[in-house]
Amino acid sequence: MGRHANVIKIVGEENFQKIRTSKILLIGAGGIGSELLKDLILISFGEIHLVDLDTIDLSNLNRQFLFRHNDIKKAKSDTAIKAVSHFSDSKLVSFFGNIMNTEQFPIHWFSNYDIIFNALDNLPARRYVNKISQFLGMPLMESGTSGFDGYIQPIIPSLTECFDCTKKETPKTFPVCTIRSTPNQPIHCIVWAKNFLFNQLFTNQQTENSDNEKSDGSEKDWGTTDEKEIERIKQETSELVDLQNIVIENNPNKIINILEKLFINDIEKLLLIENLWTNTNLNNKKPTPISRKIINQMTTKKDEQDPPIFKQLDKTWSIDEQILKFIKITQTLMNRLQTEKSIEFDKDDNDTLEFVVTAANIRSYIFGIQMKSIFDSKQLAGNIIPAIATTNAIIAGLSSLSSLRVLNLLKYAELKDGKFTDLNMAFTSKASNFSQDRYLTNPKLATPSCKCSVCSMVVRGILKVSTEKLKTLKLIDLITLLSKTYGYTLSISVIDTKDQRLLADFDFDDLYEKSLHDLQISDGSILFISDEEDENDMVRKSMELYIDVDKDSTATNLIELPKIDVPLITVVTEASKEDITKPEITKLTTSGDEAIVILDDTEEPHHVDNKRPISESDDKNDSVHKKVKKVADDDDDVIELD
Amino acid sequence: MNQDNKNSTLSADEIALYDRQIRLWGMAAQARMRHAKVLLINLGSIGTEITKNIVLSGIGSLTILDDHEVEENNLGTQFFLDSESVGKLRLDVTQARIKDLNPRVKLEFDTANFKNKDEKYFKQFDLVIGTELTTNEIFYINSITRNFNIPLYVCGSNGLFAYIFVDLIKFESVDEKLKGTRPTEVGKSSNNKEIVDVVMYTDEDDDKKIYEKIKTVHNYKMFRDVLATATLKGKLNRRQLKRISSAVPLTFAALNIAKDTCEISLSQLQETLEKATDQLGVPIENVNKDYIQQFSNQLGVEFAPVAAVIGGAVSQDLINILGKRTSPINNFIIFDGTTLDMPIFEF
Ligand SMILES: [Zn+2]
Repeated sequence: MGRHANVIKIVGEENFQKIRTSKILLIGAGGIGSELLKDLILISFGEIHLVDLDTIDLSNLNRQFLFRHNDIKKAKSDTAIKAVSHFSDSKLVSFFGNIMNTEQFPIHWFSNYDIIFNALDNLPARRYVNKISQFLGMPLMESGTSGFDGYIQPIIPSLTECFDCTKKETPKTFPVCTIRSTPNQPIHCIVWAKNFLFNQLFTNQQTENSDNEKSDGSEKDWGTTDEKEIERIKQETSELVDLQNIVIENNPNKIINILEKLFINDIEKLLLIENLWTNTNLNNKKPTPISRKIINQMTTKKDEQDPPIFKQLDKTWSIDEQILKFIKITQTLMNRLQTEKSIEFDKDDNDTLEFVVTAANIRSYIFGIQMKSIFDSKQLAGNIIPAIATTNAIIAGLSSLSSLRVLNLLKYAELKDGKFTDLNMAFTSKASNFSQDRYLTNPKLATPSCKCSVCSMVVRGILKVSTEKLKTLKLIDLITLLSKTYGYTLSISVIDTKDQRLLADFDFDDLYEKSLHDLQISDGSILFISDEEDENDMVRKSMELYIDVDKDSTATNLIELPKIDVPLITVVTEASKEDITKPEITKLTTSGDEAIVILDDTEEPHHVDNKRPISESDDKNDSVHKKVKKVADDDDDVIELD
Repeated sequence: MNQDNKNSTLSADEIALYDRQIRLWGMAAQARMRHAKVLLINLGSIGTEITKNIVLSGIGSLTILDDHEVEENNLGTQFFLDSESVGKLRLDVTQARIKDLNPRVKLEFDTANFKNKDEKYFKQFDLVIGTELTTNEIFYINSITRNFNIPLYVCGSNGLFAYIFVDLIKFESVDEKLKGTRPTEVGKSSNNKEIVDVVMYTDEDDDKKIYEKIKTVHNYKMFRDVLATATLKGKLNRRQLKRISSAVPLTFAALNIAKDTCEISLSQLQETLEKATDQLGVPIENVNKDYIQQFSNQLGVEFAPVAAVIGGAVSQDLINILGKRTSPINNFIIFDGTTLDMPIFEF
């Protein structure tokens, strides 16, 4: 009975040899990733490569069982690989980096694997890997957890539903006027404190000089048309600049001015906008400014020792205590700013957390909203998704089990004629309170949704090109080539999906003579090609071309078009065509649109600036999969407020 | 259980470490977990998963009873082992790695066989989990847990298939859910459950959301009775019976033969299978022939991904009952690792 005896009994000797020669890509070394790594090793897959961009945090230790206290701040992927070495009989390789970075992980790198496991914590990366799997036709094991909820979904390109075939819940957004003028929930005050106040005061922001006008000269969107309110917001913003100056000056005696402005003067001005309070349809609750007396009282106490309650993070403090803490913490942050120059909000940086929470609570008090403890507020401010070991373990177990059938390695459960729709997905049922008589729900995989813009509405291929050729190949050359090879007309439109930049269409040929290189097309760029319909209401299917630049190629003139067929399809209606085949095209200028606040900002640092993820094109996919309740996430970086 | 322990507030360090899970089940439940004393019998593949999960989550104390030596094939299913472990006592070689998971948990390792323990020994525990037990061993431990009124979880696996049996004797749970169009009614809600109280309340942040707090009394049966009387007759319609995994009657057949051993021949299995299908009310022609062969080949075989699913489910339920969060499993799960089918039966 050797070490692999159990696996061999389950899959058989022949399939076991296939397992030993399989190469696995595991993306994510967090909650699900740690568990998956363990399971994949124990299945004894030959090679497992692990990618993660994160470092270890204390709050990971309750579930990411490969990490210990003295690993905090180390890279997850590398630490995980070291932690499993004692029981591993697989070749293990770790990568520290963002999976969406095409320089580190170009598409030909992905093509080395037999299957991809997603153990990711955010939507953009999931979508990106889904697209890569579609480009390569490589199976993808998708999974996610959020608290007691979890799911797995095997994705077999062109045969079963892809990740984007079903609509995913997008992060919750709030209208700006609610945040600025009429909050009615604790989260509104936290967003105000974090996204407006904290950023204005402590994060190195260039003072917006043309705040009133967009770069294209049109009037800025204030999130309201009420002129009085716009006037007030403008003035408030310029006053915020004054506050910034107080903070930069580091004058503790002026903290009282900050308090007076934010919690008395601004509120009094708000009360003058009668529309907000008299319109009964709005049903807004009138705020009450903080009394000057309390502010003065607390200011005199600012150098005294902390009251013991400041240690009780799970208790809600009184308004006096909130104000006192606000004064003290502002002073601390002002001091830090002298050396740090700019402070980012970070839920694990207690100073920044306490500032945001106390400011939010004082504002809540003013608007008659319930105040919250530091502990409770942290979840709202830090976009924390609760996560536990058990759900991750179950989901990872299911994902690795299911992969054996995707790779057709279970001898008693062989797929007949490659019928992948006989496979099951699974999501938690009992723990998610959907059912008392099923622990899991396990529907069979569906075929791709015909409306999905990621897998069904386009054909995909990889255009291999040498660095030299990229510089000499003109856009018109490419268009001619595509037309010759696939039967497109010469009036196709070409869009760079990175920023939805239109490069050519039937009445736009200004860029025809530019080379791809001049058009900033580079390794990892994805071009969206679509054609006009012909007189018979037929249209050639749209195409996404992944640009794979072969830097080592000796053939300087290398250009290799994908060997695919692009069929003619019937155009149903003009409206539906608009709806599904064309990604939304935006102007190049970034607008200063502030109409909504998207609470999704913690994801941004994960992107490499000049390497933005593949565009998310349109998401007007109405086949809502009720079963996948939401895109669940293990880690802490996406907000999902129910 | 030790729920009346005075010293039940958590330190700031504990709050930081357990941050993500406290957000799920609350401070009170976390504090109750810290006072729970759990016994795990046998540290095989499922035992390893359970140990990992409950030690990480901050259980108060865990005692592991295991007298097995490490065999080479264990290396492929148990991640606390390494290649040097073969031939040594499991607990001797895994202790250090288990302790290292979470220094806050009080751990005891005992290399005695649980059957050699005096009955009174079990009295000290708030909860017992038995893994990799023969049917006679389950009978034995179940009689002890009933004597001392201790909740019991039993689980085991046969390759791609696995089961969980739960005996909480009598258990009161409180579930909270959004009120549906019809209010939940007090009274017997299923075979083993009775709703005794329903309280409505409004969300503190959103007064349009109305919740129900439902108090349910769960009654449980002993393993011996479940094995002797379990049936699906009258509970499932023909279509549901047709869809039921062949792993269900096969698991019952195996448990009925394996009184003292895991060694079962194919013909033995086929023979008992007839009795099992009869009792369960599953037509024998519904049992897939390939499954019988497969099940027979995989009897007693450990498989890590299956252990992860079963260990995860048992740990989660255990944490649930300590936190009195939602209704526990009542009372039998059979998992089919090929279809990921995992029904909960109320036998
Ligand atoms: Zn799709």
